[in-house]
Amino acid sequence: MNRTLRLSMYYLLAIALVLLVWAATSWLLEATRGREILPTPWVTFAAAAANFGTLASAFGSSALRFLIALAVAFLLGLPLGLAVGFESKLDRYLSPLIYLLYPMPPVALLLFLYLAFGLGEVVRLVVVVMALFFQVVVAAQGAAKYVVPSHVTAVRSAGATRGQIYRHVVLPATLPSVLTAARVSVGLGITMLYIAETKLGLLLGPRAGLGRFIEYYTFRGDISLAGVVGLALLGLLFYAVLELLERFLCRWKFVGARGGA
Amino acid sequence: MIEVDGLTLIYGRGGAAVPAVAGLSMKVDSYELVSVVGPSGCGKTTLLFALDGLLAPTAGRIRVHGEEVRSVRRDVALILQDAGLLPWKTVRANADLSLRIQGRKSSAGKVLADLGLAGFEKRFPSELSEGMKRRVGIARALALQPRVMLMDEPTANLDSITREHIQNLILGLWWEMGFTGVLVTHDMEEAVFLGKRILVLSARPARVVEVIDNPGMGEPGYRGTSEFVAQVAHLRQVLGGNGS
Repeated sequence: MNRTLRLSMYYLLAIALVLLVWAATSWLLEATRGREILPTPWVTFAAAAANFGTLASAFGSSALRFLIALAVAFLLGLPLGLAVGFESKLDRYLSPLIYLLYPMPPVALLLFLYLAFGLGEVVRLVVVVMALFFQVVVAAQGAAKYVVPSHVTAVRSAGATRGQIYRHVVLPATLPSVLTAARVSVGLGITMLYIAETKLGLLLGPRAGLGRFIEYYTFRGDISLAGVVGLALLGLLFYAVLELLERFLCRWKFVGARGGA
Repeated sequence: MIEVDGLTLIYGRGGAAVPAVAGLSMKVDSYELVSVVGPSGCGKTTLLFALDGLLAPTAGRIRVHGEEVRSVRRDVALILQDAGLLPWKTVRANADLSLRIQGRKSSAGKVLADLGLAGFEKRFPSELSEGMKRRVGIARALALQPRVMLMDEPTANLDSITREHIQNLILGLWWEMGFTGVLVTHDMEEAVFLGKRILVLSARPARVVEVIDNPGMGEPGYRGTSEFVAQVAHLRQVLGGNGS
């Protein structure tokens, strides 16, 4: 309870600080440029309240889209990354391919993705999945490469099959690193989500996602900025969910030495 | 009974080939506990892994109870140097691990209790002392009710009091369960305390250079006897003569 309370206090403090800096920047810009450039927090919140239904729908659409993309990236990237990291033969053959493709931004391929998948929901998911997929693959590969040999010997000496080695050793050993990488990737994922929803959602209404919402209200700075706040909250939500997931799945990482005889 | 005949183990191929064991022969009778000592890096652990079926011989043959070892056997248990506990599994899950892998329904609960680990089942290894970790590693092996127990330096890096506790525990279990045991160690006192016979290996590639009979072994009080001290001195001399 104390820990939760303390953590909540820190978050409240952080929110207060962001609002303060935001308000100060608004004033400063207005004072120096002679007109409103960045809407103040309360103007933005008033706009958010006035358009709450649309904003909530956009938030829901984006959250669902991001969740699906994250799940797909994990389902595809985790087995591949673990196998490439753990099996030295696969590592030799596939690592160069992964390193070649990894730095390539999916944004640069938007035209081809659009031609290949059309302007439907699939293409928006593909863009976000592509960005997150390589993050998961590279993190899983790196962690699986350094699995402690004695942990593998421990299960092999009991007669473990390949599948049992992955289940009992490789997956749990690498999960903390993979979840940390996923948390770090949330920022990139949200950026890709925004791009996918704006560049590949031209025909949609403002309820179709936060990116589309922001774009749709480009000329209403206060409403548009409310969408940006929504994106920040979306990032925070996934960051927190991934942290909770890590605390739940990797409980062993968070226990200290209590000693004993 | 364990019979090793002309065992050769070579790591790698071609120019990078490293012979770890060369033409090693040894025999361990049923219910006998044998210590294996030798210079650092001589191939002791490699030999143990081959006995466990984890490494296939390059040449030669290993037989356990008359059957050739081609893979891991269900009646052979291995205790690893650092206990080999998985940090993400609780004490109970670690002790049950080998049973679960082999699809056995039984549990290690009683063994844990017998080894003084009752009440610690839900703890993770990072919450245990080194001595407790080793006991969990022993519990994992015992849970399999093995006929052969292979031990790779089970007391390495322990303080002297804990080391003696674990050594007494192994001795007690050997009496109680009557397993056939091979103990690899670099600790000469441990080799004498726990080995009915002591096999001295050469520097790599390993082969047996001397077998020391140690008939006095078998009681915790053996440590305080002049025979024990003399055996340790003799072993030290043999190992010194072999360039360790």
